This record gives sequence, structure tokens and C-alpha cells, in this order.
Amino acid sequence: MEEVTRLTVSSLLLAGLYAVMAYGLGLIYGVLRVVNLAHAGMIMGGAYLTWVLHGRLGIDPYLSIPVVMGAFFVFGVVLYKGLVRFLPRGAAGGGQSLLLLFGVWLLMRNAAYLLFSGNDQAVRTGYSTQGLRLLGVSVSVNRVAVFVIALIALGALHFFLTRTYLGKAIRAVAQNPDSCLLVGIDVERVYALTFGIGSALGGLAGLLLSTIFAFNPSSGAVELLKSFVVVVLGGLGSVVGIALGALVLAFAESFSILVLPSFLTAAVGFVLLVIVLVLRPGGLFGQRVLG
Amino acid sequence: MRRLASWLPEWASPWAAAGFVVVLVALYALPLVVVLDPYTHGILTQTFMFVAAALAWNWLGGYVGQISFGHAAMFGVGGFVTARLLLSTDLPFFAAWVVGGLVAGVYGLLWGHPTLRLRGPYFAIATIGVGEATRLVATFWSSFTGGSSGISLPIPSGDFKQALYWYALYFMAAVVLLSYYLRKSRIGLGLLAIKGDVDAAGDVGVSATFYQDVVLVLSGIVVGISGGFYASFFSFIEPSDMFGFERSISLVLMGVIGGIGTILGAALGAVVYVILQENLIASYPDLYLGLYGLLLVAVILFEPLGLSGLLMRGARLVGYRPGAGVAAGGIGGAAATEATGGAPEEEPTLEEARP
Repeated sequence: MEEVTRLTVSSLLLAGLYAVMAYGLGLIYGVLRVVNLAHAGMIMGGAYLTWVLHGRLGIDPYLSIPVVMGAFFVFGVVLYKGLVRFLPRGAAGGGQSLLLLFGVWLLMRNAAYLLFSGNDQAVRTGYSTQGLRLLGVSVSVNRVAVFVIALIALGALHFFLTRTYLGKAIRAVAQNPDSCLLVGIDVERVYALTFGIGSALGGLAGLLLSTIFAFNPSSGAVELLKSFVVVVLGGLGSVVGIALGALVLAFAESFSILVLPSFLTAAVGFVLLVIVLVLRPGGLFGQRVLG
Repeated sequence: MRRLASWLPEWASPWAAAGFVVVLVALYALPLVVVLDPYTHGILTQTFMFVAAALAWNWLGGYVGQISFGHAAMFGVGGFVTARLLLSTDLPFFAAWVVGGLVAGVYGLLWGHPTLRLRGPYFAIATIGVGEATRLVATFWSSFTGGSSGISLPIPSGDFKQALYWYALYFMAAVVLLSYYLRKSRIGLGLLAIKGDVDAAGDVGVSATFYQDVVLVLSGIVVGISGGFYASFFSFIEPSDMFGFERSISLVLMGVIGGIGTILGAALGAVVYVILQENLIASYPDLYLGLYGLLLVAVILFEPLGLSGLLMRGARLVGYRPGAGVAAGGIGGAAATEATGGAPEEEPTLEEARP
């Protein structure tokens, strides 16, 4: 029973991180209809930027959030303006942008490899090893902090998308870009902004990840897959859908430890994906994202 | 030419057939006429194998438009099944390749049948998952794959490496013929229809599920045989190389650099890949991923049809007009001809358009 409580708490905390990861991917896909494979590179890059800021300048990982998010926002906007803008979007150009962003990911991986070598790195702070009691089980401070920050980020994003002019413009463009042009929304600017926000979320996910797990230049592939699983599970409709998808994935992964050898947990996400696609191709909550 | 043409099915071009026979004979005779040093000999053998694998990837990535980042799974399954068969049974090596290929094909169907109902980007990401999951299982299943230390194969007598050249050539020739058949026959038209518009293809009686499953199984068999051949050629295999993400990427790169959806393109792509791998990468091992990334970005931005697109540009300069079949490559069905930079198009479906 104590094992179950422990797994419940840890999957709940993990779900926050998954939701942030997935929202970056889902937002870009929902608005631009482009699957950002470079998202994996953003996550990896965010982790390394955090590591550099902490190791070289001594900035606490959680204090460097604005820097990391800002840097990846700019990177995303530049990526959009410099490359993605020139490709057809939507069903016709899906393959092209996919391969292009895949190329960008390879470049990012190679850059990280040249800069930091291929060794595993981790961000270690004074409180990395400290724990606290939660529901009768002890969890590390970092995991709780990551969860809280993820909740704040998702809340802020929800507020931004539903209450501000720009956020509403992004949602309008997602629904119908042509009509947006007619009513005077600068669609190109909204696209650039969306790509920036999605990238910033990728960077934030990398930052949060780096405080808990070790990483290396090829990190990000697994996280990309998990983000994708969450998007398929939860749909693109809302923050709530994404959060539920993240919960399902985190619980499935954590509880699989009870029945599966530990090296197979990474495969759980994929198996879950296939099961959902076979049984409910429209996603768990009916928000159709496929086809 | 005309008399010869009456032999061929109506969809086959006599010029293509003639070119195929000439190249095949020339390559067959090459080691008999010229004394090749072992290095060149080995490189040519590898190139034939990679041409076959790249063509097989292209059936799925180019003909149907389903880009797979997980073909290493089949490559590895084929390789390890072959290796285990050669180690524990008396099967001749070519039979072991075929069995390895068949197992890989079945494995492909196993994950492909559920995932192929996804289209485009969704399928691509799902295949990343397939590749990673397979690699993890293979690395930890050390009683079968030897874990991270890999397994060594018995090295046959001295002439074996020489003989592999011709085996690779026959294999490649068979795969080229099959590629041509899959492109030009009725099946090829069906695949093209699926690539253009799945729903419309379904309306005219092309079963997307069936066609895609068939193509994936064939692709898996050929890639699996390539894996088995690779195991025989190097006499040593290990999971992180056979199942690695880099292995999957290499197939994507061959297809895209050469020109996705074309036969000549995939073949050229494999040749360029081997040349790059041997010359550039060997001198700058730290830069290979970045170099491939750069190549991908450049090809997508400037010439989505890759090297075969460049060739076609050259052909147009001298006044040759390629037929519709030649121009049918490209990444998305209509992507090659569509103006770039447009807004995402959401055509209203019939249902929505009705008042």
C-alpha cells in the first residue's frame, strides 16, 4: 500500500513536467499544423543552458527560468522567420517541415556534442538531495518544485490564451487563418509568436528536466515521443486535456514498474500510444487531432 | 528495341529496361575485368546493400508518403536473426538472410498495422517510438543480442568476401526490379493515390490499410535482408549500431538527399551516403550529425526532389521533358508543385459545406 501511495505521488509530480513538454509541441501543431521535431532539441538545449548558467555563473536553475525561456523564445522566432516560414504548411507540406525541423534537431545535437561532449551531465544544487514528506511518503524537493512551476506555467498559458488579445488572436489563427487576415490580424506575426512560445516551453521543459534527470546531447528523443503521446491522449483542445493526457502517461509509466522490468518503462509510452490509436483513434477525450 | 519491348509488361519502359541490363552487366563484370583492391571492393558491396535498403525505405517514405524514422528496427531484427541462425544452425547464409528478412517483415507488420493508420507527421513520430522501444529491448535482451558487447559471426573461408559482391549485386537488382514494379504497376498507381489523398483513394476502391501493410512488409523484408547481409559482411554486430537511431536516420537521409519517391534518387542517395561516410565522416567523426542536418535543411529548402531533382533540372536545360511518372516523386503528394509559404489550407468537406 505504501508502494502505491509512493507511485501515485511520484506520477502526479511527473505529470506536470510532461504537460509542459507536450504543450510546447501541441501549441505549434495546433496553430501552424507543423510538427516541430526540433522540440527534442529545444528540450535538450534548455537542459544544457540551465547547466551552463548554473555551472559557470552559479545561477540557481529556478532563477534562470526567464533567461532560458527568453533565449528559446528568440530562437524559436528566428527559426520560424529564417526557415519554417518558407515551407508550405498543413497537410500538403507536413513532410517537408517535418524533415526540415528534423535537420535542425540534428544540427542542435551536433552543436551540443561539440560544445559539451557526449557525456551525461546533471544539474546539482545544494538542495538536490533534500526531501520532504508528502502524503506520508518522502519526495525530493526538486520534484515538488518542478511540479509547482509546471502548474504555474500552464496556468499562465491558459490565462494568456483565453484572456489576452494576443492569446485570442493565436486561437483565432488556429481556427481559420484566412478569416484572421480579413479582420486585420497579422497572421505571420502570430505564427512567429506561436513558434516562439512553443520553443520557450520546450526550453522550460528542458530546464525542469535537468534538475531531476541526467542528460546528454541525444536526450530529447524520448521526451519528444512522450510529448507526442500526451498530445494524442489529451487532444489539442485545452490545457485540461493536455494535463489529463500527461496524468495518464505518468501513471501508466510509474505503475508499470510493478509488473515490468525497469528498462521497459521507456517503451510503455509507445505501447500506450498504439493501444489508444487502435481503440480510440480520436484521442481519449474525443478531441480529434488525427487525419 | 520494339521487338524487345513486346516482352515487357505494358507499363515498363524499354529504355529503362535496357539501361538496367547494361548497368547490371557492367557491375557484374567489373571485378572480373579490373583488379579491385579489397577496400574498393568492400565499398562497392556495401553500396549495393545500402541502395537496396534505401529503395525499400523509399517504398514507404516516397511512394506512400509515410516517412519512417524507425527502419533500424527491421534492420536490426534481420541482422540478429541471421546471426543467431548462422551461429546455431547449418543453414546456408543466403537462407539465413531470407529467414531474417521474413522475421523482420513480420515484425514490421506487427507495429505497422496499428501505426500506419496515422498519416504523415503522426506516423513519423510513432516510428521514432518504435525504433527507440526496439533498441531498448534489444540492448537488454542480451541472451539473444549479446547486449552491449554484441555477437561475432563465424568467418567463412577466404573467397566469401569476394562472393558477397555478387550476392549484393543480385539482391540490389531484385530490389530495383521490385521498386520499378511497385512504382509502375497498378499497385504503384494505388500507392500514388494514397499519397495524394487517402480519403479519395478509398472512394475509388484503393484500400489504404491493405496497400500500406503490403508495402511495409515488403520494405521490412528487404531492410531485414540488408541487416542480415550487413551482419555477414562485417562478421560482428551489436545492438547499439544495428538498432541505433543513426541507422534509421541514415535511411531517411539516403532517400531525401537522393530524391524522395524516385528510384534513381534512392540509389544515388545511397551512393552519396557511402561516399560521405567513407571520406568526410571518417576524417571528422564529430561533425557527421550536423553535416547530415545541414544537408537535410538545404535539400528541403532548395530542391525538395534532391539529387534527382537536380538531374531533372539539367535534363530540362537540354530540352528533355520528363513524363508525369518521373515527376511524381516529392515529399507530400501535391507538395512539390504547390506554391510555398501559403497559409494552412482547410478545405471544407462536403459535410460542412452543406447548409
